Amino acid sequence: MSHDSRGEMPGARFVDPKILARVGNLELLAKTVVDGFINGLHRAPFFGASIDFAEHRQYVAGDDIRRVDWKLWARTDRYYVKQYEADTNTNFTVLFDISRSMKFSSGGVSKLEYGAFLGACLGYLATRQRDRVGIITFDEDIVTHVPPSAKHFDMVLHTLDRAKAEKPGHLSAPLHRMAEHFKRRGILLLISDFYDEPEAILDAIKPLKFLGNDLIVFHVLDPQEINFDYDEASAFEDLESRDQIPVVPQSFRDQYRSLIQEHVTSLRTKFSEQRIDYALLNTSEPLDRALFSYLSSREKMMRVR
Amino acid sequence: MSFLAPLFFVGLGAIAIPIFVHLIQRERKRVIEFPSLMFVQKIPYQSVRRRRIRHWFLLLMRAAAVALIVAAFARPFFPQSAAAQIAALGGTRELVIVLDQSASMGYGDHWQRAQDEARKAIGSIGAADRATLVLFSRNAEESMRATPDRGRLEAALGTAKLTSGATRYGPALKLAESILSRSSQQRKEAILISDFQKSGWTGSEDVHFPDGMTLTPVSVGTPDVTNLAVPSANFARATFSNQERITVTAGVANKGGQPATNVPVTLEIDGHLIETKSVSVAPNASASVTFAPFTLADPQVHGVIKAGSDNFPADNTFDFVMTPSQQVSILIVTSGSGGNDTFYLSKALSIGNTPAFQVEVVPAARVTPQMLDKRSVVVLNDTIVPPGLAGGALKRYVERGGGLLIAFGDHSAWPTTETDLLPGKLGSVVDRTDGRGATIGTRDYSHQVFEIFKAPRSGDFSAVRVLRYRALEPGPTDRVIARYDDGAVAAVEKRVGSGRVIAWTTSLDDSWTDLALKPVYLPLVHQLTRYLSQYEQTSYWSTVGQAIDLATTYKAKADRVVMTPTGERLRMAAADPGVLELNEHGMYEIRSASNGSGRPDRIAVNLDPAESDLTPLDPSELVAAVTGHATSTAVAAAEKPAELTAEEAERRQNVWWYLLLAGVLLLAAEMAVANQLSRTGERFT
Repeated sequence: MSHDSRGEMPGARFVDPKILARVGNLELLAKTVVDGFINGLHRAPFFGASIDFAEHRQYVAGDDIRRVDWKLWARTDRYYVKQYEADTNTNFTVLFDISRSMKFSSGGVSKLEYGAFLGACLGYLATRQRDRVGIITFDEDIVTHVPPSAKHFDMVLHTLDRAKAEKPGHLSAPLHRMAEHFKRRGILLLISDFYDEPEAILDAIKPLKFLGNDLIVFHVLDPQEINFDYDEASAFEDLESRDQIPVVPQSFRDQYRSLIQEHVTSLRTKFSEQRIDYALLNTSEPLDRALFSYLSSREKMMRVR
Repeated sequence: MSFLAPLFFVGLGAIAIPIFVHLIQRERKRVIEFPSLMFVQKIPYQSVRRRRIRHWFLLLMRAAAVALIVAAFARPFFPQSAAAQIAALGGTRELVIVLDQSASMGYGDHWQRAQDEARKAIGSIGAADRATLVLFSRNAEESMRATPDRGRLEAALGTAKLTSGATRYGPALKLAESILSRSSQQRKEAILISDFQKSGWTGSEDVHFPDGMTLTPVSVGTPDVTNLAVPSANFARATFSNQERITVTAGVANKGGQPATNVPVTLEIDGHLIETKSVSVAPNASASVTFAPFTLADPQVHGVIKAGSDNFPADNTFDFVMTPSQQVSILIVTSGSGGNDTFYLSKALSIGNTPAFQVEVVPAARVTPQMLDKRSVVVLNDTIVPPGLAGGALKRYVERGGGLLIAFGDHSAWPTTETDLLPGKLGSVVDRTDGRGATIGTRDYSHQVFEIFKAPRSGDFSAVRVLRYRALEPGPTDRVIARYDDGAVAAVEKRVGSGRVIAWTTSLDDSWTDLALKPVYLPLVHQLTRYLSQYEQTSYWSTVGQAIDLATTYKAKADRVVMTPTGERLRMAAADPGVLELNEHGMYEIRSASNGSGRPDRIAVNLDPAESDLTPLDPSELVAAVTGHATSTAVAAAEKPAELTAEEAERRQNVWWYLLLAGVLLLAAEMAVANQLSRTGERFT
């Protein structure tokens, strides 16, 4: 890994100390138990070697005889196996949409940059929790895949730094392939602008949930995508398809705002139904505030559970 | 407007470029990348709005600039009228438009066509040219003095109206010549617009255009015109049962080349139709129609004779005013010695009806001053001054306007108290019986008495033998109107007050002369009495252009109101000269201003008979007479102007230069406006 002239790691710029100063006060709690090797704050998804007894179950052929509760056999003359609920580390994978639409910027940071900041921050947070961090970037296909590992944080940052939005994107195909790829449960952080029909998006995301992954969805949009504050009639070019349409913004604005709002609402509703955490992030808003608000809501949800 | 290179108009297609830019290219030049158009595509929109043009002004400026530049390349020029081409051939010009407004221009559409031609001429003047509008009929006047202002000329032309006047080219051409001769412009032209009536040009007019002046005739006449006219009427008076009966005979002239058959001719008296007769008139001939006599009941009746109808109705009617005849009352004073000393005089005065004479013969001894009342003339025929009239009565009579004729003879004597009545100083009797006698050798034909004898064979005074006469030495203010062959005074006139006195130095009977036996006696006696009675023959009508002296015609001094045939009211004060010019044909009415409800005096005014003759004059003949060279290049050029080639006309006008300059300026303005709009647009974007 190369270092720049200031002796900083590439990608280190994503770890904004100001952001981390606020985010670090919170604990990132996985919603589901993830199996792992390092004890952490997460509850392990599997019963195994842990200090917190969970329950007994009858022995079945193939169980490790070391887990048989011999004291209970002595009392009942039946074989029971002890099960423990153990805290462990988890896989934290960033699924980063780098389709061409993500490079859009109306003046501030692009959605791609904003998403990269976001991924880096949360990756760092996960690393501190001793979770394994990985990243998958995709457009219409998977572009880069860094498997989750405790040592891959630098690679994650590097991947985020090198990500370029060059090709049109499509959620369905790459997400389906990812779903086949994941063997272990973990936390999946999906960052995208979700330019597709809500049903199609949900269909693409659902397979990720099949393994019991905890899926967090960040919907990143530029303020112009939300407000459509253009004045002059111009030809608008679709960054994905390169189609051009002459547009008179004054006459389109209200309808556009209504449509995008409807889209966001629809996504929020559908993700909520699927118990998927969804957050709409505006690239004009400070990054730390977005993370803070999300993690706050996340913590609340954990307490409720 | 014509174009030297019209193919360049293909370039007008370039106007589509700014429109295309406005509609399409303008939107394409600003491409905004947007993450996804999935929502935009869902929004229905109207293509009109999408393609709308936001900056109409800018588009118009661009299109206009392109059009101007293309038009400049097409090399436009204005094809010129004949007059304008002449103007283009060199220098500024002074143009005099001489427009005929005589009555004959009222034939058909002649006047309208003449005005159109005048407008064309006005339209041909350039910015540096000057034009004068001269309107003429019998006289000419400058309607608009030399001006380059076409608007004022057009306005003056618009207010010009037809008159009833006769056509006279002389005064108009003289006026045009004087205007041109005063001008300092390089080219001097006159355009004569008329129907070129032959009667308007006698050839004796002293008009000559010097070299450098051109005359362009523009004829609006119609060949083969037909025109019926009533040029005159005769009136025969007869007395029947103490009532005057008038027989009207109307002349009807056919001034066309076609015979006029069964032309209805009507006589109306005071609006009542008296009789209608029909008459056929051969081409270029006249016929007369005699109507049944009518009784003259009123002091003034208005009669109208109408003959047929044609394109020139003004001369188809003939107006007249008929008044009862006036009698001249004469008192003949005789010596009372008996004999027939008044025989010849009485007989001569009993003949005639214009005027009719009412004669009373009274011996001198019986004459009283009352006898002078209402007498027009007193004749002292070979007698003394009546005792009854001595002492100033006769003088007062004369001073009031009476006439006194003194004929000397054997019984004549003149008292010294009345010498101021006698023209001159009376001498003795001159006896010329020794030879052939005296003859009346010299007559003053300029005097009204002898005026009618002026023409040859109009009275032979040479046959008159005068055996005796009284010598008379005229005073310095007296006018000798006839002398004998020895130079002695035969007749002398003296004005006393408003009256007239004529002394005839020989007798009016056959005692001293055989004049009474000669044919000239009767007209001479009539002339003497007419003159002394100041008899004015009442005219039944006047002709347009005549002037009448109201003070003379209507002797009472008073303010008068004259109403013209067109209804215009003219107020004439008693102190004014009282000359009324009769410029319109029809009936003039003259009323006393103080007694407006009284019966008006009327004057019938008819067109000049010459105006009815529409026979045209060859314009080139007139041009030749005026300019002296009918085939001169200038005149030829005026009639058939040398045509400028299109290239030459375009080169002279240089319109393209102005168009190109305008196009470039417009483009510069467009650039400034576009930049401003662009900046404004950036601020908003």
